[in-house]
Amino acid sequence: MSDSFPRRTWLARFLGGGIAATLAALFYPVARFLRPRAATSSGALEVVAPYRMNELKQAEKTGVWPPPFNFGGKPCLLILVDGEPRAFNAVCTHLQCTVEYRAASQDIFCNCHNGVYDLNGRNVAGPPPRPLEVYQAVKKGGGKPGEEEIIVSRKA
Amino acid sequence: MSPAKPENPIPDELKAQGWKEAVKAFFFERLGLDSAAALAAHKRVPIHSRELFYFLGGMALFLFGIQVVTGILLSLYYKPSPDQAFESVRSIVTEVDFGWLFRSIHSWSANLLIGVLFLHILTTYIMRAYRGPREFTWWTGVALLGVFMTFGFSGYLLPWNQLAYFATSVGTAIAENVPVIGKYLLLMARGGENVTGDTLARFYALHVVILPLTALALVGVHLYLVQKHEISVPQDMIKKYGSAKKAPSMPFVPHFLFRDMVGWYLALGILAALAALSPTDLGQKADPFGSAPPNIKPEWYFLFMFQALKDLPAYLPSENHKWIEGETLGILFFGFVGLIVAMVPLLDRGAASGRPRRVLNFFAAVFVAFIIFMTARSLMMKPPQNPPAQAPPAAAANPEGTS
Repeated sequence: MSDSFPRRTWLARFLGGGIAATLAALFYPVARFLRPRAATSSGALEVVAPYRMNELKQAEKTGVWPPPFNFGGKPCLLILVDGEPRAFNAVCTHLQCTVEYRAASQDIFCNCHNGVYDLNGRNVAGPPPRPLEVYQAVKKGGGKPGEEEIIVSRKA
Repeated sequence: MSPAKPENPIPDELKAQGWKEAVKAFFFERLGLDSAAALAAHKRVPIHSRELFYFLGGMALFLFGIQVVTGILLSLYYKPSPDQAFESVRSIVTEVDFGWLFRSIHSWSANLLIGVLFLHILTTYIMRAYRGPREFTWWTGVALLGVFMTFGFSGYLLPWNQLAYFATSVGTAIAENVPVIGKYLLLMARGGENVTGDTLARFYALHVVILPLTALALVGVHLYLVQKHEISVPQDMIKKYGSAKKAPSMPFVPHFLFRDMVGWYLALGILAALAALSPTDLGQKADPFGSAPPNIKPEWYFLFMFQALKDLPAYLPSENHKWIEGETLGILFFGFVGLIVAMVPLLDRGAASGRPRRVLNFFAAVFVAFIIFMTARSLMMKPPQNPPAQAPPAAAANPEGTS
């Protein structure tokens, strides 16, 4: 037996290796456990907005705008521009607060850090680095005229 | 002077030993309290013009004790789920006897504690008490400041109100700007893509299990090191009296302990007054899909970072040269400052010899001024003015016709 590999060194290596393997076996499930589970939201690509055209028109008159709603786990902002519906992912591109529509100043505003978007979702002032994600919003015919449902959809 | 006692009925042979002494001896022998008593008798506190600084550590410990007691009480009624959290806190402050008091004290004491810790670390820096062999005392202290700020951040979410929801949303989104591992940090902190019930559960576990255990361990090491290396005597005192031993000091037990207690009574009075006169708000229940309400603000000790992030433009150096996002620069800057603070004992190369530390002092002064300025700026900033009732015509808003 050569002096450079005495028995004690081997024993220490086996012991150390064994402990390391045990720790790895213990920590692996812990690390996996800590990783968030798959999203519980539907991830839907299309939704019928909870507000109809006449409700939005009414909101336009009163100035009390309905709050964003849940679209596939993210808040969706639905507004009227020249009588046509427009929908956005309401998550601010700055630090993920939920934006609001300011009818009076005709812009979309984030209260957290004063980010401003125009009605096309473009970031025009304040810290947001990117425009809002724009969803497609179309009126669905049928029913009474002026009371159409609004279908909001997005690309996968 | 005590009033005259009646005749002692204990027989002479027992009196020789004294039953109190016998009980004392029982515990001392079995628990090895002799060494603890010797340590207490040995511990001294330097006397000089800045001795008020020495009260801050004990004050922090006292406030931590208040947090533990009130926190345990609140945990008896609090329910960590999005459906019940807000309602359970509302029930604590409206239905449970003295619930309003304990919740307010918990919240106020947390704020005072962070303030005391800021002062404690600043005065330790001023007195250069981190110099060798006390580096680990400084490091455990810096770690404790981080732990208590995390306590504050995680506790803020627990009432599950609008303010808490969006402050947490923003706070965790900031983590996403950390280069390389940002996305991972965000997912781990939130327990998913968004702030949900899983986030609340994680923050609750952090707030009532992980952080308390970590804090206790760190406080233990911190206090052990303070005993081990004794309280640091300032360098000018050593110079004046020839050695640390010769500098004037007072025994910790009971002289300084009684002075500590005066401070604790004062703190208790202030806490009770604050809780009674300015009880902590509950606000509106969180609505994850609603718009963020105006005036979203973190606790005051995060305001300087919050304001700095608000002031940074989206891209630096300009919109046309998008080298780095403002947020990323901000978070890198604060991370760097944190690293510098932790490394103070290593950066102050002249600490042992007493050489002045001009560069370090310059940066410390600039950073403290930055914190004060940014905090004041954030506090004084008015919420955005109500927008004009009528939108300006497009031509006036965009005179150059560019888009």
